[in-house]
Amino acid sequence: MSIVLKTDNLSKSFGGVKAVHNANINVEERKLKAVIGPNGAGKTTFYNVLTGYFSATSGEVYFMDRNITKMPIHEIVKLGICRTFQINTLFIGATVFENVRIASQIKNGGSYKILSSRRSLKNVNDKTWATLDKVGLKDKAKSFANELSYGDQRSLEVGIALAGEPKILLLDEPTAGMSDGETKRIASLIRELTNDITVVLVEHDVELVMSISDSISVMNQGEIIAEGTPEEIRKNELVKKAYLGERKN
Amino acid sequence: MMSSISMDNSRLMPRAKLYKYIAWLLMFLVLILLPYFITNPFYQRLVTEILIYGLLAMSLDVILGYTGLLSFMHAAYMGIAAYTVGIFVVYVDAQASLWFTFLLGVTVVILIAWPVGWLQVRTGGFAFALLTIAFGMMYYTLVWKSRDITGGDDGLFGITRPTIAIGDWVLGSTSNPVDVYYFTLCVVAICFFLTKRIMQSPFGAVLESIRENEKRAAFIGVNVRRYKLQAWILACALAGVCGVLFTYLKGSVSPTMMDASAGGSVLMMTLLGGLGTLWGSFVGAGLFIFGQDYISTMTEHWMIFMGLAVMLLVIFMPAGAAGLVNRFITKSKD
Ligand SMILES: Nc1ncnc2c1ncn2[C@@H]1O[C@H](COP(=O)(O)OP(=O)(O)OP(=O)(O)O)[C@@H](O)[C@H]1O
Ligand SMILES: [Mg+2]
Repeated sequence: MSIVLKTDNLSKSFGGVKAVHNANINVEERKLKAVIGPNGAGKTTFYNVLTGYFSATSGEVYFMDRNITKMPIHEIVKLGICRTFQINTLFIGATVFENVRIASQIKNGGSYKILSSRRSLKNVNDKTWATLDKVGLKDKAKSFANELSYGDQRSLEVGIALAGEPKILLLDEPTAGMSDGETKRIASLIRELTNDITVVLVEHDVELVMSISDSISVMNQGEIIAEGTPEEIRKNELVKKAYLGERKN
Repeated sequence: MMSSISMDNSRLMPRAKLYKYIAWLLMFLVLILLPYFITNPFYQRLVTEILIYGLLAMSLDVILGYTGLLSFMHAAYMGIAAYTVGIFVVYVDAQASLWFTFLLGVTVVILIAWPVGWLQVRTGGFAFALLTIAFGMMYYTLVWKSRDITGGDDGLFGITRPTIAIGDWVLGSTSNPVDVYYFTLCVVAICFFLTKRIMQSPFGAVLESIRENEKRAAFIGVNVRRYKLQAWILACALAGVCGVLFTYLKGSVSPTMMDASAGGSVLMMTLLGGLGTLWGSFVGAGLFIFGQDYISTMTEHWMIFMGLAVMLLVIFMPAGAAGLVNRFITKSKD
């Protein structure tokens, strides 16, 4: 099994707060890796360091054996690492179509065709419709992002990331705030994606995680305290104490 | 505020499109026939000035309305081109051709705007705006202090106005108000349509993505700094074109065209016209310059009134004059 993404004692501190501390993770190709942990465990911060939004305090990040720790965001994206955000980060005044289209344009090129219409990139348009179909927003293509329901905005988050045609997709609580129907749709989409790409999923819904993940890493207070299959994690005493038990009470 | 400015043309119904074409056609006719209606050379020059300042305000719209970058001293780059051409014609070659001085003025502006922009895009939005003031004041002081060359606060006079010619084919003279009007109209129209095309292109779409959400733009793979710098250079180059046009309209250059008040005026014109439309800036420049001409006949404190008008407008009509027209068009869509 080849490891696509791996970290080596990755740490991030804010002043004295060790938000991420010596975190090691190994993500296998075309598998679904979940990262779970209580609120404030450091999951989002971990993503922010992985994707170049924060610089690491110490440690390294490797993507397909390449050290990407100090790369700028857009170059990390070009390697094929795309992400979504826990807090919607959309092109809010643009249409749903344009939100996805621009991501596809950046991936597929054509940004310097300064004398053509942006609508003339046929390949990009076709791919945009396909992506909108995948995330269930085809009917709302002409709506503006700020007119969408919260659940649809969450779907658009995923759509924009998918339009970048990632090799590895990092999802930060994609279904938070979604209806049951929307959650189901995204869950099955995530599972389907692993036929072609690698997915990392940060998610609070433990039952969902247990049912669809290949491997789980558990974070607590900035540290990864366990890594294993859903079965192993379910039985892990440390995890029960730190997270699962706490949830049941 | 930003969200209200991206009008989606596909939402306009056919009748609205027809209105749009008729409006464009009428405007063309008016602009072409204008010197026959307005025969007073003073007003012919005033209208020419509006075209030039409209282009300047439009170039500010490229960075402010499309990319989301605020420049308080955009007029400074117009001034740099004006002084470059003025100094060259006065001290180096009084017979310099119109086209050569255009090339010279715009090239010098680009050579200065490039490193300055490089520095500015490495800072956040607020620091970017502050740096535009810092550099603007620096250019102004430099011009003001180099009295021996620039004439200081007296300005630079005796700039020979060249003929307007393509090869040996003489079309007119920049000292004739009607000729300079038509010449300016042509240059401004070319710059306008070219810029419009660029903003509608995939490149313009990237700029808009930065305006809408800079963080997300980076995470879809946009090299944000690079595109900001390119937008900045485009805007400054267009300001340079304005500077050369203005030099030949006036036959002199004065430092007041690049002081802080000039920078504020351009910003007001762009805001008056409405962000993110390009054409709105011309309406803004027209309102501002005619307003200035009109109010200043009544009181010398016209700037107070203009400032007040802009404030009210920004509060109650944030999409500017262009927003008003667009609202009318979308309303009449049945
Ligand atoms: N930009 C920041 N500056 C300072 N502290 C931060 C910053 N971002 C996160 N933190 C701190 O780092 C810790 C981890 O936060 P983080 O958002 O990564 O947790 P999380 O696991 O994603 O939580 P949640 O499940 O609520 O999303 C918290 O104590 C938080 O206050
Ligand atoms: Mg989080």
